[in-house]
Amino acid sequence: MNELMIGNYAIARGFVEAGLEIAAAYPGTPSSEILPGIVEFSKRENAEIHCEWSVNERVAYEVAYGAALYGKKAACMMKQVGLNVAFPAFYNFKHHEIKGSFVIVSCDDPGPQSSQTEQDTRMLCTFMDVTCFDPSSPKEAADVAYFALRLSFETKRPIVIRPTHRVSHSREAVPLYRPGKRRVRLKEGLISKGKTAKLGIVASGMSFSVAIDVLTELNLIRMIPVYKVLRVHPLDTKVKEFAQSLQKVLILEETDAVIEAKLNDSKRVYGRLNGFLSGAGELTYDVIKEAITSLCRDSGIEVQNEIDYALEDLSKTINIVPRPPKLCSGCPHRACFYAMREAFPEAIFPGDIGCYTLGIPLGAVDTVVDMGGSVSLASGFYNVFSKENRNIPILASLGDSTFFHACLPAIYDARKKNKKFILVILDNGTTAMTGMQPTPQTGITAKGEKSRSISIEATLRALGIENIRIVDPYDIPFVINTIKEAHHHLQKGEGPFAIISRRECLLLSKRRFEVKIDLEEVCTGCKRCIRYFDCPSLEFDEKEKKVKINRDLCVQCGNCLYVCPAKRKRLDSL
Amino acid sequence: MRSKGLSIEIICAGIGGRGVLLASTLLIDSAVRKNVYAIGSDEYGMSQRGGSVISQVKIGNVKSPIVGKGRADILLGFEESEFLRNVSYLKKKGIGIVNTNKSEIDRKVTDALKERSVRLYLLDADEIARREGLFLASNMAVLGFLSSLGIEPLTYENLKEAIIYRLQGKMLEGNLKVFENGYRKGLEILK
Ligand code: SF4
Ligand code: SF4
Repeated sequence: MNELMIGNYAIARGFVEAGLEIAAAYPGTPSSEILPGIVEFSKRENAEIHCEWSVNERVAYEVAYGAALYGKKAACMMKQVGLNVAFPAFYNFKHHEIKGSFVIVSCDDPGPQSSQTEQDTRMLCTFMDVTCFDPSSPKEAADVAYFALRLSFETKRPIVIRPTHRVSHSREAVPLYRPGKRRVRLKEGLISKGKTAKLGIVASGMSFSVAIDVLTELNLIRMIPVYKVLRVHPLDTKVKEFAQSLQKVLILEETDAVIEAKLNDSKRVYGRLNGFLSGAGELTYDVIKEAITSLCRDSGIEVQNEIDYALEDLSKTINIVPRPPKLCSGCPHRACFYAMREAFPEAIFPGDIGCYTLGIPLGAVDTVVDMGGSVSLASGFYNVFSKENRNIPILASLGDSTFFHACLPAIYDARKKNKKFILVILDNGTTAMTGMQPTPQTGITAKGEKSRSISIEATLRALGIENIRIVDPYDIPFVINTIKEAHHHLQKGEGPFAIISRRECLLLSKRRFEVKIDLEEVCTGCKRCIRYFDCPSLEFDEKEKKVKINRDLCVQCGNCLYVCPAKRKRLDSL
Repeated sequence: MRSKGLSIEIICAGIGGRGVLLASTLLIDSAVRKNVYAIGSDEYGMSQRGGSVISQVKIGNVKSPIVGKGRADILLGFEESEFLRNVSYLKKKGIGIVNTNKSEIDRKVTDALKERSVRLYLLDADEIARREGLFLASNMAVLGFLSSLGIEPLTYENLKEAIIYRLQGKMLEGNLKVFENGYRKGLEILK
């Protein structure tokens, strides 16, 4: 039987069929759907699998690792930068043998599409000498997951699976088997024999699949031999033999030059290390096509590739509405960010990772480093400013999931050293950016059951923060006042000062409100709302020089009314 | 299951949270359910946040879900702006369907497409969906319209079957209505 599913679900399926017993993860695109997949398939197969969202990746890693040490079949899931958070444990396990099995899935993000960096997990595995698989499709990812969990049990060593987002988020029909019965078909080696010795290709992951399509399109599939690498570390010695049998070899891999570096053959190898391909970014269809064509021409292999760039050039000249990602219509974060910027436009705004990184275009986030970074950056800024005797307000922002994930030690530290800054915790009751996973505060488990909830304010108090205010971000004037008061208070009192901006995520509540929105009637065309509020429901009609509300999207929260000067004037004169 | 010869490449372009991924899933479904190989690739980094979203679908004798520039047989623009942004994917003699309430889109683009013998259809899918009280179902109107072109395996029957298989209850009812109205609109225009 087949079922259509994305790569992340395929990985979940492979694990469940292989007899997984414990799974722990922290959500992060592109990895977030693996754990929900395991929950679903364990229900369907009546399998007793313990599944949990951990507070961060290191905890997920150690929970799974602990279970594996004891003899269980365990796996943990995260995105590539999440593996950095788990690095201390990852680095240490080299010296231990496990009794059960332990598989780490770390999803990479070439491009990157939803990350700050495109960091290559395979590089870390090479450096740490950990077996690493780079699947090329959802179907193969299911097989790899099944195989890896069993292989780890036999070898007593941890194994890493590294899918890229193109595998994690590809969708195809994946065969289902009863637990323990999967027929695994792992393909590695010379997949496609070619006539010529002038040029060959070594490819892994999604780049392999794309290369096959490109060669088919260019009618070169019988001409150019292709070697597929599935296990990137340890690399089969046959790859080297294959490379040596050819005059030129093109290496297609994402994102770093891992296989290429191992081949260590700058004379015949073409890839990212030798500068033939760009050192960063996704290997798209067009990049691969271009690379193959140009090497063919250099090698005297005939190739037809007439690309028509006219349409592409044309689309660059026409006026297309830019569509950067935006906070949703009526998003409580937007209201809070607006208030932050209104209160102290000259403030320093360290921000964090999540939906609220989108505070950047609203002018209320100006520095983002990593999860939890907002708090420690604020501490650092305060040190410098206070030494220089400069009273610059510092408004650090972070989300509720991030608060528990990485901020607690930093907050405690800031408290102990009396760092004077304002900490704005944007609490929308969920991990919205990655797909609504529960946070510790919700007290809901990965399986949707109720457990103990941990309150943000109680945690803050326990960390020594005395000054805590809870505000409704929709009450923008009140939030502005609270921020000003907090700043005032910090002049004499102790820091940091915490403001919890609390209102449920609109994606979760799906709520609509009933405020009468009459901006169109009063609009003078100043564009202030567009510039400073940027709600997706506000459109500017350039012909009429007036704001238009997209009534299909607008949730009638009324927040934009605070922003419009024309509206405010009218409110004042009433 | 890989069918020799046949290959259709499709780009679904729209904005986040508005059913692009469901539409592409239905395209894959309607092929797979007829034993034709299909694979798709979604880009949803911050898709809920109203940013541009594209989903690529390849059907038939293919290995990867990635479409090259100038290679798409069909470009479904669930928003006009996203159609324009991705127009360079379209093949000569391809098919473009755009959700727009205008009777004409950018002149330069229209001319360039005509030169390449692309069949371009403009369709007010939002309006078709709104008439059923379902603003977010314009994707179904676009699919319905596509199905009226009778391209195997993306036919009216197959797509309808896929919708019935994927959706339930009230969602199914409304979405099917929008789909059928899109289909009818297609038959009208093609007459
Ligand atoms: S702020 Fe008010 S007056 Fe200015 S463009 Fe927006 S709606 Fe119009
Ligand atoms: S009321 Fe204003 S701020 Fe709220 S969703 Fe509508 S346009 Fe956006």
